[in-house]
Amino acid sequence: MRYLRRIFLRFFGLFANSKAEAELDREITAHLQLLEDDFLDRGVTPEEARRAARRAYGGVEQVKQLHRNERAYQGLASTVMDVQYTLRQLRKSPGFTLTAILMLAFGIGATTAVFSIVEGVLLRPLPFADPDHLVILGDDLVGSYWDQSSVTAPDIRNYMRATRSFLHLGGYQGKGFELSGTGDPVHVNATRMSGEVFPALAIAPLLGRWFTQQEDDQHQLVAVLSYGMWRERFHGDEKILGTKLLLDRKPYLVIGVMPPDFEFPLVPGHVNNSELWVPLSPQPEEFTAGYAASWNSRMVGRLKPGVTPAQAQSDAQLVAEETMRNYPGFMRSLRIRSDVKLLHEDTVAQARPLVHTLLIAVATVLLIACANLAGLLLVRSIRRRREMAVRLALGARAAMLLRQAMVESLVLSITGGLVGLVFAAACIRIGISLLPETLPRIHAISLDWPVIAFALGLAVLTGLVCGLAPAFAAIRTSVNETLKEGGRTGTPGSGHGRLRSMLVVAEISVALVLLTASGLLLRSFEKMRQVDLGFRVDHTLSAFYILPHERYRVQSAVDGFTDALLRNLRQLPGIKAAGISSSLPAAGYEGEISITVEGHVPQKGAGLNMATVSLMQGDPFQALGIRLLRGRLFTESDKADSQLVTIANRKLAEHFWPGQDPIGKRLRRGMPETPTPWLTVVGIVDDVKLGSPDGGTAEQFYQPVTQQVVSEGAFASAGELTATWGYIVLHTDLPPEQMENSLRAAVRSIDPQLPLIEMQTMEHVISGSEAPRLFNTVLISAFATIALLLAVLGIYSVIAFSVALREQEMAIRMALGCQRQGVLHLVLISAAKLGAIGCLLGLLAATAVSHLLGSFLFGVSPFDPLVLILSALTLLSFALAASALPAARAAKIDPMIALRGD
Amino acid sequence: MPSRENESIQLLQGTLDLIVLRTLASMGTQHAYQIAKRLEQVSGNLLNLNQGTLYPALVRLEQYGWIKGTWGKTENNREAKYYAITRAGQNALGKETQRWRRMAGLVEKLLVEES
Repeated sequence: MRYLRRIFLRFFGLFANSKAEAELDREITAHLQLLEDDFLDRGVTPEEARRAARRAYGGVEQVKQLHRNERAYQGLASTVMDVQYTLRQLRKSPGFTLTAILMLAFGIGATTAVFSIVEGVLLRPLPFADPDHLVILGDDLVGSYWDQSSVTAPDIRNYMRATRSFLHLGGYQGKGFELSGTGDPVHVNATRMSGEVFPALAIAPLLGRWFTQQEDDQHQLVAVLSYGMWRERFHGDEKILGTKLLLDRKPYLVIGVMPPDFEFPLVPGHVNNSELWVPLSPQPEEFTAGYAASWNSRMVGRLKPGVTPAQAQSDAQLVAEETMRNYPGFMRSLRIRSDVKLLHEDTVAQARPLVHTLLIAVATVLLIACANLAGLLLVRSIRRRREMAVRLALGARAAMLLRQAMVESLVLSITGGLVGLVFAAACIRIGISLLPETLPRIHAISLDWPVIAFALGLAVLTGLVCGLAPAFAAIRTSVNETLKEGGRTGTPGSGHGRLRSMLVVAEISVALVLLTASGLLLRSFEKMRQVDLGFRVDHTLSAFYILPHERYRVQSAVDGFTDALLRNLRQLPGIKAAGISSSLPAAGYEGEISITVEGHVPQKGAGLNMATVSLMQGDPFQALGIRLLRGRLFTESDKADSQLVTIANRKLAEHFWPGQDPIGKRLRRGMPETPTPWLTVVGIVDDVKLGSPDGGTAEQFYQPVTQQVVSEGAFASAGELTATWGYIVLHTDLPPEQMENSLRAAVRSIDPQLPLIEMQTMEHVISGSEAPRLFNTVLISAFATIALLLAVLGIYSVIAFSVALREQEMAIRMALGCQRQGVLHLVLISAAKLGAIGCLLGLLAATAVSHLLGSFLFGVSPFDPLVLILSALTLLSFALAASALPAARAAKIDPMIALRGD
Repeated sequence: MPSRENESIQLLQGTLDLIVLRTLASMGTQHAYQIAKRLEQVSGNLLNLNQGTLYPALVRLEQYGWIKGTWGKTENNREAKYYAITRAGQNALGKETQRWRRMAGLVEKLLVEES
C-alpha cells in the first residue's frame, strides 16, 4: 500500500513541481534562518553566522536536487516539461490545434461509430455460450446448388437417434402461424423446433421454462415467447405464463419467455426473425412421400467436449448412408453428404463481403484524416523553421528538438484520438436510443475495440512519422542558411514542397477510390431500377394468407373458400384481374424441386435438374402482368381429371428445348425413377425476378393448383390438402392502396377470423427487395462523403498554406508587373496539377481494389468509364474549389505591404 | 556508479529514516533543524552529516504517510515546518525497529563467531 501511495505521489509530483519547489525553498530558508539565529546567539558577527549556517547545512543546490530525485521520477520530468511546453505552444496557435484535433477526432469518431453500429446490429456475434461447440448439421444434396445445408423430417429423426458426437442435437423449421384470440388475428413468424435445441443453445428463459424433448415427442401444445413479442403484444405481462394462445386456432399453453438477447434462428441483417417457438412434433405424414424428400428444415447441435466438427461429420455420414439405404424407390438416385460446420461460420459467411467493404471504407477515411494531420504538421514545421534554427544556434541539442517535435505530434494525435473516441461513444449512444428497444443485444452494441485500436494506432503512427520527418528536415537545414535568409520566410525548401505535394496527391487519390466505389454502387442501384422485372409494378396489390388446418380439414372446405374469394374479388369495383399464386415475384426465392424433362439426357456428372414451381388459381398472370410469349394461359377447364398442363418460363424452355417450339413438350416432377405423370407445356411466359431485381432469374414452371396432387404422383401424401395458402394478387384501375379495405372485407365476409399477411402494393414489395442494395449504397456513399469532405479540408489547408508561404514571391511577381489574373492562374494551375496527378493515381488504385467491390456491382463494370470520369472530375473540381479561396487571397495581396512585412 | 558506494547510501538512508522516526516518536513534533540538532547531540558529534541530507529522508517519509509536516512558529517567532509522526508512522517504527534489531543482532553474532 505505502509503495503504491509513494509511486503515485512521485508521479503526481511531476505535475505539481512549482509548488513543491516553492515549499522546499521556504523550508530551506527557514532552516538556514534558525541555524543563523543559533550562531548569532553564540556571539559571532551576522556575516560569520550566515557563512557558518551555510557550512553546517551543506550545498543548498545539491540538497534541492536530492530532494527532487526523492520527490518525483526525474527521468519523466523532462518529458513532462516537453508536454507542458507543447501545450503552451499549441495554446498559442489555437486554429491549428483545433483543426488538427477535430479532423482526427472526426475521422476516428465517425468511422468507428458507424462500423460499431453496423457490426453490432447486423453482424452480431453469436449470443450463445461456448459458441465453438455449436454446429449446424445438414445434408449436401448431390447435384443441387443450395448455399445452406438442410435436412428432411426423417433426417432429423435419424440424426437425433443415431449420432454419437453431440451433447444435444435438434431440428428446426420456420413456420407462420395465425395468432388469434388477442385482438385482430395476426400472422406471426414462429419456429418449430426439437426440445433438444434449447439445451444446445443453453440460454435460460427470462420467465418460466423451455419445452423438453419429451413434450416435443408427446406433441404437447406449448409455446415459448420471444421478448419482443411478449413486450409488444402482451405488454410485458408476467401473468402470461399458464395462459393459452390460439395459434392456427389451436390452444397453445405459454410456458416461457426468452430474454431479449435470445434470437434463433439467426439471420444476418434481420432481427427478431422468430417471434415464438413451439415443439417440432412432426406429423406422421412428414415422414412419407414427398415430405421425406423435402429438405426444408435445419439442425443445430452442441458437440460433446473434445469432438471436432470433422469427427462429428464422419459420424453423421454413417447415419446418412443408412438413411439413403432406406430411401423409397422413387428417391433411389438421390445422394446426400452430411455436412457439419460451426454455427458461427454458417451465420457470418453471408455477411462477410459487406464487412470487408466496410473495413476498407473505414481505413480509407482514416487514411485521409491521417494525411490531413500529416499535412498540417508539415506545414507547421515549415513555419517554425526559423525558430528551430534560432534554438539550434543558441545551443539546443538536436535530440531535444526532435523529442519536442515528437511530443507535439503525439499530443495532437492522442488528443485527437481520445476526442474521437468520446465522439464515437456519443454517436453510438444516440444511435442506440434511435434503434427500437426490443432489438436483440442492443445494449451490447459498443465501440468495436479492434477498429478503435487500429484507428488510434494509425493516428499515433501518423503523429510519430509526421512529427519526426519535419524535425529531421529542420535539423539538417543549416542554421546559417536559414538565419541568413534574414527576415524573409522566403520560399520553402524544395524537399518540403515535394512532401506537401505528395500528401495532397495521396489524399486525392485515396478519396477518389471511395468516390468511385460509391459512384459504382450508385450506378448499380440505378441499373437495378431499370431492370425489366417481367411483371407489372403499378396498380397491383398483393396479400398472403394461410388457411388454418383446424377449420379447413378437407379439400372441399379449402376449395369453397378459394372459389368464394375469387368470386368476391372479381366483383370488387375497379378490379381488372384477380388471382392467387403460390409465389410472389420479388418477394423472395421459394426453393426449387427436381424435374425430369422428356427426351433430355443429362450429361454425365451434371447436377439434378432443378426448377421453381408456382401453383396458380384464377388469373394471376393477368393480375401480375406476366407476359405470355407463346401458347395459352390456364383456364377453368384445366381440372384434376383433364390433361395435365404446365406453363414454362422462357429460361426453362431455352435450357431444355433450345431453338425448338416448346409447346407440346413434356416434363414431370421428380427424378427419372420417380413415378409421376407427364405435364404438357401449353404456354411460355416471360422470366420474372423472384428475388431482388439484381438477382438472377430461376427456371420456372407453373401449374394449375387443381392438378397439383395428381402431378405429384408418388410424392403426394395421403389426404394432402392443396391450395391452403397463397398470394392474392389484384390488378386494379384505382390506386392499389384504396383497394386494401375492400380486399380485407372480401376475405372477412368468407372467414372473419382469417388474417391477411403483408398486404402491400407491388411497388412496396419491390422496394423491400431493393433494400439490401440501398443499404450498401447509402453506407458506402456516406463514407465517401466523409472522405470527400476531409480531403477537401486537407487540400484547402495545404494549398492555403503554400500560398501564404509564397506571399512574398507573389508580391515580387506583382511588383515586377505580373497581373492579379496571373497570380490567380499560378495558384490554380499548381493545384490542378496536383489534382490531376492525384486523380490518375486514384484511378489506378480504384481499379486495383475493384475486385473487392465486384460482388456488390450489378450491371456495371468496375471499370465503368462514366463513373471513373465523373468521380475524377468531381474530385478535381472540389480540389480546384478548395484552392480558389487561397488563390483569390493571393491575388489580393498588396505588394507593398507584403514586401515590407516580416 | 560503483555499486559499493550505492549500497552504503542505501544503508544510510534506511538508518536515517529509522532515526528520524524514532526522534519524532520520542521528542514529539519537531522541525528539521531540531531533528538535525538532536542527531548531533545523540551521536556526540560523531555523525558528521550536513543538515541538508535530512531533506530527502523527510520527503520520503512524508510520501509514505509516516510523518506529516505543517508550518508553524518557533519560540523566537521564526517560521518553520514542524513534522509529526502519524499513526502509520508509529506502526512502521515498531516494525522497522524490530527489523533493525534482528539485523543488528545477526551482524553482531556473525562478527563474534568469525573473530
